[in-house]
Amino acid sequence: MLKRLLMETDFEQLKGILKTLEKIEVLQFPELEDRIKRLDVELNSAGFDRWGLHPETLKKFAPFIYFLYKKYFRVEAAGLAGIPQGRVLFIGNHGGQIPLDAMMAGLALFMEAEPPRIPRAMVERWVPTVPFVSSLFTRIGAMIGDPENCRELLQHDQSVLVFPEGVRGSGKLFKDRYQLQRFGTGFMRLALESRAPIVPVAIIGTEETYPSVFDFKLLAKVLGAPYFPVTPFFPLLGPLGLLPLPSKITVRFGKPLYFEGNEDDPEDQIREKVQIVKDSLQAEIDQGLEIRGEKVFTKAAR
Amino acid sequence: MKVLITGASGAISRLVASAISPKAEVIGVDPRAAPSSSHFPGEFIVADYHSRKLDDVFRKHRFDAVLHLGRIRESQKYSPQYRFQMNVIGTQKLLDLCLSGGVKNLIVLSTYHVYGAHRLNSLHLNEEAPLRASQSFPELADAVELDHSATNFMWKHRDVRTTILRPVNIIGKHVRNTICSLLRSGVCPKIVGFDPLMQFIDEKDLARALILALDQSKPGVFNVGGEGVIAYSHAIRHAQAVTIPIPPMISAGLVRLLTDISKINFPPYLMDYFKYPTIVNDDAFRAVFGYQPKVKTLQSLRNLGPLSERQIESPSIDESV
Repeated sequence: MLKRLLMETDFEQLKGILKTLEKIEVLQFPELEDRIKRLDVELNSAGFDRWGLHPETLKKFAPFIYFLYKKYFRVEAAGLAGIPQGRVLFIGNHGGQIPLDAMMAGLALFMEAEPPRIPRAMVERWVPTVPFVSSLFTRIGAMIGDPENCRELLQHDQSVLVFPEGVRGSGKLFKDRYQLQRFGTGFMRLALESRAPIVPVAIIGTEETYPSVFDFKLLAKVLGAPYFPVTPFFPLLGPLGLLPLPSKITVRFGKPLYFEGNEDDPEDQIREKVQIVKDSLQAEIDQGLEIRGEKVFTKAAR
Repeated sequence: MKVLITGASGAISRLVASAISPKAEVIGVDPRAAPSSSHFPGEFIVADYHSRKLDDVFRKHRFDAVLHLGRIRESQKYSPQYRFQMNVIGTQKLLDLCLSGGVKNLIVLSTYHVYGAHRLNSLHLNEEAPLRASQSFPELADAVELDHSATNFMWKHRDVRTTILRPVNIIGKHVRNTICSLLRSGVCPKIVGFDPLMQFIDEKDLARALILALDQSKPGVFNVGGEGVIAYSHAIRHAQAVTIPIPPMISAGLVRLLTDISKINFPPYLMDYFKYPTIVNDDAFRAVFGYQPKVKTLQSLRNLGPLSERQIESPSIDESV
């Protein structure tokens, strides 16, 4: 009895809930299994790849994320055919407080690109300190946004998803939606070093999921988080306020950009190249917003 | 060839010594007595590394190579002062003796612990990564210091070809280190919500790595890994142990107190290693020495079993597991 109690912790406990949920009909996606099988990953005897990706965990959690993708946010992906094979640096716009944007872009590549690929998302440096999230993210292909991680992934022909705005982008208020914040320049040096093409990814719709009206900085500091969003529903409605609004999400992959240059070039030259990426991403966002029009929650964007 | 091996009453020394002993003459030294008279396949000398007895060993023998595998690891059992004496002063003395004794090839076994478990660590730490271990836990200061003195020695005295190896968690049927005792004990504390990736190297793979370093004699600092990464919870499961949840906000002091009371083999000073992944990149060692681990991580975890007090039945490193 005691032994069983001890076993039922953490993931063990979650597994029970997962088993019950697995039987729910809306969470049945037979195509997921085939996609996971076709992933080009090298696994060791314990079922992990070099960077801690664990397809078995992915198999358990993917139905939930895919449910959000397919049914809740009704994601539409555009421009998947133009993505080059091999190493790619995906540069996205960050918004919407929690990394829904990374998950939706990742799932578009996993479920709709040929062959299926798992982009490795570079996450905030405080994520490793967040219980549960830290280990789950590692299992499904994310890791901290350290230049060394990105370099190694690109050298091994992996695709990497970077949000150069970082918390400046994800934590911004609703009034600033779809306005790109200051870009870091590290990604450009890494792209030049590994000769990786850059693909801008415009993610439209995540900004409306958690419309943050106020950043409670003091509370964020106490919690050790980079920001603490206050939306019209959170924390006012308690846990219910955590539910993202069901806005329609579009993921638009732009044309790949190839850059010539040296990773040791002076900062102003790098900044010029970064500006090209930023402009092309903003253009992709604007185009997507124009197609979407006013009807944020209903209209299909194409 | 005459080879001195420190830490001779340990499992790794025995594996290495048995593998090279017909060809090379091996002399073993350890502050602890040998577990049995047939443990070490050569002359066995009981001596503290910082004692004068070690000078006599070098007076009597002229070594071609020295394998420094002896480091006091169980930080709970020994006082920090004693560990400093043995690990730091002892190593410095050994290095001086290698220099004056004309040793051509020196191999020092350090540990991946020197990098420290830190949330800012990149997923794969290469050999240039900063050594953060002593920042939060002074118990690891002697390990970092040992690594530093060996690295300094390597750069200063190029005629002694020094190879420093930083292996990941060493596990094996005959190994008596902290991680093995923890997994063998059957109850493994785990911080709730944290399930870091870990790496394990089998005793046999480590012995092979040491022999590669001995044969090829190429100076440098190298990480040595096993087959790959595995989550801590999976390692616990495959070692047939039970998880005990401990709250994430708990202080190291409280963990120390609880482990002392409950007699659970959990090292409080290694707490962060059970929270943040500390994964090393061993590509350099594989490329330079042609190293390829043979034992699968799952196999060595499953074979861990209870530590037999008997001596190693077959010390061969080529035996299939």
